[in-house]
Amino acid sequence: MNRRILVTRPSSDRTTKYISVWAKKVIDLANTKGDIVLDLENQRATQQELESMVKKHNPSLVFFNGHGTNDCVKGQNGQVLVQTGVNEDILSGRVIYALSCSSAFGLGPRSIQIGAAAYIGYKEVFFFLYDESSRTRPHLDKTVELFLGPSNQVVVSLVKGHTAGEAHESSKQAFVRNIRKLLSSEASATESAAVKYLFWDMRAQVCLGQPSSTI
Amino acid sequence: METELEEETKELVIARLNTLPEGTGVSMGSMGDFNKEELISHVQAGDEIGRKIMEVEMSFLRALKDGILYESPHPSNPS
Repeated sequence: MNRRILVTRPSSDRTTKYISVWAKKVIDLANTKGDIVLDLENQRATQQELESMVKKHNPSLVFFNGHGTNDCVKGQNGQVLVQTGVNEDILSGRVIYALSCSSAFGLGPRSIQIGAAAYIGYKEVFFFLYDESSRTRPHLDKTVELFLGPSNQVVVSLVKGHTAGEAHESSKQAFVRNIRKLLSSEASATESAAVKYLFWDMRAQVCLGQPSSTI
Repeated sequence: METELEEETKELVIARLNTLPEGTGVSMGSMGDFNKEELISHVQAGDEIGRKIMEVEMSFLRALKDGILYESPHPSNPS
């Protein structure tokens, strides 16, 4: 379909490394759909690269992976990529998914005010649990999958042609399925401990702007 | 009274954190990554990280009490 999807994937600590590794699975799916994925990985996850790629390629979806605060999302080594009052205009006209803490509290509403089509993100800290023994193989960590499977469902759904509102609901349902599975089955101690954090993440995810937006 | 309630809540949260297996870590975004002992220390200290952990625990317990987790979330099933 030749849609352009811009992805930021910093990797400067455990959290960014894990979410960036798992975002690769979504990139692979988008590639199979014929989308053009602009992958700002590691050292390329900078404000300068981001602004340059947005201007040059006009992506319909921007998928941020990284740390965040109420008013910004960050890239490699914690440097700011987009911040309210600085460069949020680069989000205008696009669908945004920010897998980062808290940015849907301030940056999200501001980006909608200045013309972003939709902003899906988290109004709170995004938690995930991980297995220390899988440290060198985070892509195989089943504990991480409990969290990043549902969270990345937002982009999976968008890539499959669903609206922003549907992608948001699909992700929340994926969280609910995992929660119910862990509550109802003979879950391990780690899985049982994961439930409260899955519930927290699910409740923190919001979809702002036009829910009928597509990429 | 509030202090007593807060202490009881801390005890409850720490008891629940003690069920977290060794070898399982918790990522709290830019707040950091923590193991069980570190989380318990933060709860005992009552710092920002400890208060957030308590908020998560209490939010979940309230949801269980209210039956929220067993309600049907949405009628449609987009994928």
